[in-house]
Amino acid sequence: MNESRLLRVHDLTLRFGGVTALSEVSFDVNEGELFAIIGPNGAGKTSIFNCLNGIYRPQVGRIMLGDQELTGRSPVAIAKLGVARTFQNLGLFSNLTVLENILLGRHHLMRTSLLTGALWWGPARREELAQRRSCEDIIELLELEPYRFLPVAMLPYGVRKRVEVARALAMQPRLLLLDEPAAGMNLEETEDMARYIREINEELGVAMLLVEHDMHFVMDLAHRIMAVDFGRVLAIGTPDVVRADASVIDAYLGVAS
Amino acid sequence: MSVLTRNTRLTVEYADDLRLFRSRPAQTGAVLLVAIWLALPMLLGDYWATVFVYAGIASIGAIGLNLLTGFTGQVSMGHAVFYGIGAYGAAIFADRWGLPFPLWLIAAASVGGVVGGLAGPFALRLRGNYLVIISLGLLVIGQHLFENWTSVTGGLTGTAVRAKVAIGSLDVAALSLGGVRLSRNQGYLYFVWAMVALLGLAAHNIARSRPGRALQAIRDRDLAAEVIGVSQVHYKVGAFVLSSGYAACAGALYASYARYVSPLDFSLFLSIQFIAMIVVGGIGRIYGSILGAVFLTTLPRVIESVSGSLPFVSADGTGGGLTVQSLNQALFGVLTVTFLLFEPLGLAEMWRRVTRYFKSWPFSY
Repeated sequence: MNESRLLRVHDLTLRFGGVTALSEVSFDVNEGELFAIIGPNGAGKTSIFNCLNGIYRPQVGRIMLGDQELTGRSPVAIAKLGVARTFQNLGLFSNLTVLENILLGRHHLMRTSLLTGALWWGPARREELAQRRSCEDIIELLELEPYRFLPVAMLPYGVRKRVEVARALAMQPRLLLLDEPAAGMNLEETEDMARYIREINEELGVAMLLVEHDMHFVMDLAHRIMAVDFGRVLAIGTPDVVRADASVIDAYLGVAS
Repeated sequence: MSVLTRNTRLTVEYADDLRLFRSRPAQTGAVLLVAIWLALPMLLGDYWATVFVYAGIASIGAIGLNLLTGFTGQVSMGHAVFYGIGAYGAAIFADRWGLPFPLWLIAAASVGGVVGGLAGPFALRLRGNYLVIISLGLLVIGQHLFENWTSVTGGLTGTAVRAKVAIGSLDVAALSLGGVRLSRNQGYLYFVWAMVALLGLAAHNIARSRPGRALQAIRDRDLAAEVIGVSQVHYKVGAFVLSSGYAACAGALYASYARYVSPLDFSLFLSIQFIAMIVVGGIGRIYGSILGAVFLTTLPRVIESVSGSLPFVSADGTGGGLTVQSLNQALFGVLTVTFLLFEPLGLAEMWRRVTRYFKSWPFSY
């Protein structure tokens, strides 16, 4: 493969006491690539995300983003390096409005401190205006215009999922981690989400790592897929290759007797 | 059409969304508040002027606690300690060190902020009920120091304070307006409420910009906040510094106005009162803190003044039945519980509902 590598995960092993959640997981994500991770429940998909985010510290292995080492860094530091993420069961700030949630995505790109914030008139206000303008582009992309000033808690589930993608996108990430973006959505919402993901990937060129259960969704969208089970990599390759892989079929459908 | 356009104006600039008083009614309201501020000291007698000075001081403390509890989600029972530190700070910086007016106030508030910052790291390890217990411990330690560190606090007998709010010949306690001399109470009423406006505005500005959003993000979902780059360490400690700085500032003003402080002024009851103020006024709303502080400070005095015409109540309890004081305490508890149960967002939410009704008038929703 001659494309440039954005993310390199090498030999990742994560244990909780005697339980091995991940063992020797290795994979690469290229610049601009849409890379999906599939696997049955408890296979370790979300654990991989939590390692990438710095929420879990793997016992063995290295994670590199470009030429920066991510292993051992705090979630805040990793966010600043350009890794954004959405959560499986939503990580939104439910008392804040859609706009405030999206603006929070730009937190690490802003400078206003407690002190300059208290003064407001001057740099703080200018920064608010500038960031508001750039957030509007994201609001437009994800078609959130009608909800700007509504608290997230009041919104239907499908819209909240979109708000979370918008917040992650507001961080101007180099790598976007989407943890089951279509979970719990109806067919129409799932199709919309697929369209947004493709737009973000193609128009903004953001590389994405996607965890998803919906096979059609993954097979249609992803450039490459990694299948995991019991914390081990079963197969990595294009959708067609993974679909045909015997061990993947076994893991999903059970071994033919 | 005229019905629709009368109450709403289209916002066409992002800057319009950021304005402090966005609608015509809000702007009128602001002007009205300034007019009340100017007129009230002239209209109130000494007794009610005193009540409203204390209400203003309580407002500043309540704004501080709201930043910590309402915005950052950290419940603390230690607010009275920082209030006390500010009060003794005023006594030390103004009387013993002889610092002039703005300096002793700033110094007292800063010391409160620094001590609050030291308490902050506890909130990084503990949350919810555990943090409440820790802050109770802080309160006990504070009380002990106030009572026993006699060389600094004067011990149980308390200490007299002469911290004057005066710059040069301009003394708040002896203002004169157009040749008419104002009483000390009138002067303090102007000054304290100007401070409420100033510190309330600063808190509101924080709330509506980057740091305020960060505090609320930590309150709503601390892990998600970290993942998008909001540092819990930074903002939790920051919230403690800010909140105790406000408390200490209020305490210093209290000392300056009351001219005498004793450890009894900074008990657990004061902490609970502050919590009640933000619960009744509105968790997570700056102006709610002021509403709550004014409401809970004036209510006992209102009850006192009408106690003569209430059945089963007498000023000293001689006629059988309740004393005014015990009625106050009972009502205080009942009010707090009632608000928690039926209006958890407090007076601020009630006010918002009223304004929203008129915004969409004549449509009912």
